[in-house]
Amino acid sequence: MIGRFRKPKPKPTCTPADISARPSLVKLDGRMKEAVETGRGRLVFGGMLFAGVFVVLVGRLAWLTVPASLVSEPSMARGDGGSARGFAPAMERRTITDRNGTMIATNLRMASLYADTRQIGNPDETANRLLTVLPDLPREELVGRLGSGKSFVWLKRNLTPRQQYEINRLGLPGLMFQDEERRLYPLGPLAVHVVGYTDIDRRGISGIEQTLDEELRDTAKAGEPLELALDLRVQHALRDEIGRSVEYFDAIGGGGLVLDINTGEVLGLVSLPDFDPIRPGTASDEARFNRITLGVYEMGSTMKTINTAMVLENGNAKINSSYDASRPIVVGRFTIKDDHAKNRWLTVPEIYKYSSNIGSAKMAVEAGPAVQRAFLDRLGLLKKAQIELPEVGAPLVPRNWKTVETMTISFGHGLSISPLQLGVATAAIANGGILRPATLLKRPEGVAVPGTRVVRPDVSDLMRKLMYLVVDEGTGKQAAVDGYLVGGKTGTSEKVGAHGGYMRKKLMTSFVGVFPLNKPRYLVIGVLDEPKGRKETYGFATAGWNSAPTVGRVISRIAPILGVEPVDDNSPQVQQVMSLGVHAPQSEKKIASN
Amino acid sequence: MLAMWLGFDDQGDRLSLGRKLWEINWGFVLLVVLLASVGFAVLYSAAGGDLDPWASRQITRFGVGVLLMLTVAVIDIRVSLRFAYVFYAISLVLLVAVELVGKVGMGAQRWLHLGVIQIQPSELMKISLILALGRYFHGLSIEDVGRLRWLIVPVVMCLAPAVLVMKQPDLGTALMLLSIGGALLFLVGVRIWKFATVIALGLVMLPIAYAKLHDYQRRRIEIFLDPEQDPLGAGYHILQSKIALGSGGMFGKGYLQGTQSHLSFLPEHHTDFIFTTLAEEFGMVGGLVLISLYVLLLIYGYAIAFRSRSQYGRLVGLGVTVMLFVYFYVNIAMVSGLLPVVGIPLPLLSYGGTAMMTLMMGFGLLLSVYVHRDIEIPRRIGGI
Repeated sequence: MIGRFRKPKPKPTCTPADISARPSLVKLDGRMKEAVETGRGRLVFGGMLFAGVFVVLVGRLAWLTVPASLVSEPSMARGDGGSARGFAPAMERRTITDRNGTMIATNLRMASLYADTRQIGNPDETANRLLTVLPDLPREELVGRLGSGKSFVWLKRNLTPRQQYEINRLGLPGLMFQDEERRLYPLGPLAVHVVGYTDIDRRGISGIEQTLDEELRDTAKAGEPLELALDLRVQHALRDEIGRSVEYFDAIGGGGLVLDINTGEVLGLVSLPDFDPIRPGTASDEARFNRITLGVYEMGSTMKTINTAMVLENGNAKINSSYDASRPIVVGRFTIKDDHAKNRWLTVPEIYKYSSNIGSAKMAVEAGPAVQRAFLDRLGLLKKAQIELPEVGAPLVPRNWKTVETMTISFGHGLSISPLQLGVATAAIANGGILRPATLLKRPEGVAVPGTRVVRPDVSDLMRKLMYLVVDEGTGKQAAVDGYLVGGKTGTSEKVGAHGGYMRKKLMTSFVGVFPLNKPRYLVIGVLDEPKGRKETYGFATAGWNSAPTVGRVISRIAPILGVEPVDDNSPQVQQVMSLGVHAPQSEKKIASN
Repeated sequence: MLAMWLGFDDQGDRLSLGRKLWEINWGFVLLVVLLASVGFAVLYSAAGGDLDPWASRQITRFGVGVLLMLTVAVIDIRVSLRFAYVFYAISLVLLVAVELVGKVGMGAQRWLHLGVIQIQPSELMKISLILALGRYFHGLSIEDVGRLRWLIVPVVMCLAPAVLVMKQPDLGTALMLLSIGGALLFLVGVRIWKFATVIALGLVMLPIAYAKLHDYQRRRIEIFLDPEQDPLGAGYHILQSKIALGSGGMFGKGYLQGTQSHLSFLPEHHTDFIFTTLAEEFGMVGGLVLISLYVLLLIYGYAIAFRSRSQYGRLVGLGVTVMLFVYFYVNIAMVSGLLPVVGIPLPLLSYGGTAMMTLMMGFGLLLSVYVHRDIEIPRRIGGI
């Protein structure tokens, strides 16, 4: 193509016509020549500049990229060969990766300093010289250790190579190094509540590191990473969005959970505030607390999913049954009211959509305490959740389970469970009716996971449509995501104060979302602890204004990563499939027995 | 009337539309399409393997850009010559207008709403400055170029918009305007000692200018000198960029496999730092191929400028080439830590419409120079 420039004659900066117009041609000719030379010289200089810049950029790129690959390749080879440097890889604690093989926990070889004090003549002198390299060591204690007469005392663990070099240079007798490995978490706090951390001797004392300690030390499996169910891309998006909402709504904390509802695999689990596992000692109790698995809360209206499924499963109501929600229920000293009161008869979908406490209570009473207790037990809500973590909280179950308790539990009060339990139970209701325990470990792909049936497939089908209704036109509108069918339920509960009684201003908001409803696969929970109202939310601090949009944003970020195919959620086909086929709200009146 | 406006009334050297299309340097067009396609692929990857939200929109924009480029290419070169000062004046007025009524976006006042469209006058100014300087020097004899009083006008022409843009504040674009102007002055043959004087003056002024910079601009320069001093704050961009480049290694992690960019460790991975996204996935080899494509594009621009018979064509060709060069060089030098972070996109690859349109208009002019390469234009153009 360059060939098209066949005649690259650089033209003089003046045309001949201009020259002939001037009187003194000879003098100009000299100037012309000079000018042409200047012009040409400048163009050549410009060209050289381009070439020079090319060289600079290429050089820079090579500088940044090549050393990395030259250095990393031999070191990998050494890891495989193992014996070349005389250390056994079998010593290593197994690394932990996410489901895609990205590193979460690994080991770094470091030297630790110890002393054989029998060889030390003058503890004072040795301590003084050692303090020139390690000034942070407490002097009194150091002298005491060095003078103890023992053949082995630790002085300092995990030295940097530079410190080791400096100590060697001191040439002190009796000081020796022990090669050790240090557990490292390159991603910092990203997955700390799942992975946990180890103590200085690399014994797991929290999270997966503790539960699977034996497994991770297993020398037979050394070199083979432990694969978690976690997907770090999902985990990152979840932590990012929950963190943003905690900050935006000035909440004291928050949590998030992403479950694969067909396998029970936990793709993301976040509890905020969190901390860097490399320094667990500096973390506050608040940061170390896992709000998703250890914390148990009255989850509020998100429990209505379970209540509605129970009533439909048990046959106490059909989808078009309706209940009188025209006035509050008074039971003893309690009054059950609606937050979004309609003061009329409501159908089952309306009760769910408008989150009616009165309607939910009347539905639950029809089933009765015994049925409710058995159903919640089947969903695993009355015992500790099953998951590979030591930090699991036991639910708070009412001792006296009568009609009043049945009423309050129907809308999420009087029974405290962990968000994880709520997630697992909702997943079972949404996935076709099969309960599968949550797991943090990756399951082999393509193998069906066994479970126990808790509701019929047709009930599950109806429940998904009800969840869609909430996002499409109910309290969860802000969780809607363009291109994906999202369903869910909001929940706002007042926290219990230190001296009993509910605190009106201290709320706990949650949203449980399921997507894509056309091919149900994932469940996302977002929980915010004491969010505040903002000008942008017109002062509201209920779940529809904070937790719902948070989950919506999480879904919009993770759905493409998880390869969920988008659909046109406004198309007539979709609308028809998601429709409940219930139009007349008061077609069949049914009066609750209470 | 239209024919006259488009310059077709000039007897002797007019070309038919078909002939002009035939004369377009299609090799150059192919190269531009190739580079833009690399951009689409990287944007697809940056979105985690999705046309939405970036790649599809960028493709649409590029389509519009190609039409714009071809339209400009077939317009007679004398039309842009005739209206050069008018364009310049309009751009200058718009720049003043943006100062008065512009919309503030991302902390800077750069945009102007004109009914349905928004424009960034500083972008228009890049093209207008090239045209105006081209016209000015086209009409000047080589002796005049040597005289100081003839240099007052072009220097003011460069400085006025640069100062306005600097006030927005947009340091990157201001420096770009100055480098385009400076390069053109250099290429028409302004004496070296004059440049030396200006550079010396500039060095003397440097401490004063530094004191006048915005805090964030000063911070960027400090961070550039030592990014490790604030790895999580102001130095974050550049460190993450270097980490991502380094993690790509020789041959990269493979298409759609980049982690630094996909996990949003790398900020602006689809706009200013798109080169890093590419180099993480395709490694050093991919980066070198891309740089080579740009250099080939620059060689084309240079050759086209060389080939023009008119001084005006030559200067416009060189001006556009220099603009492309500054975009490309400053961006890659910035992401690889050779220059401080100034928000300059990578031409044809970075997501964004404004810079794309400026470039495509510039490329159109370059092609127009090529199509009309054999047309000689008298120095005095008052008669037309």
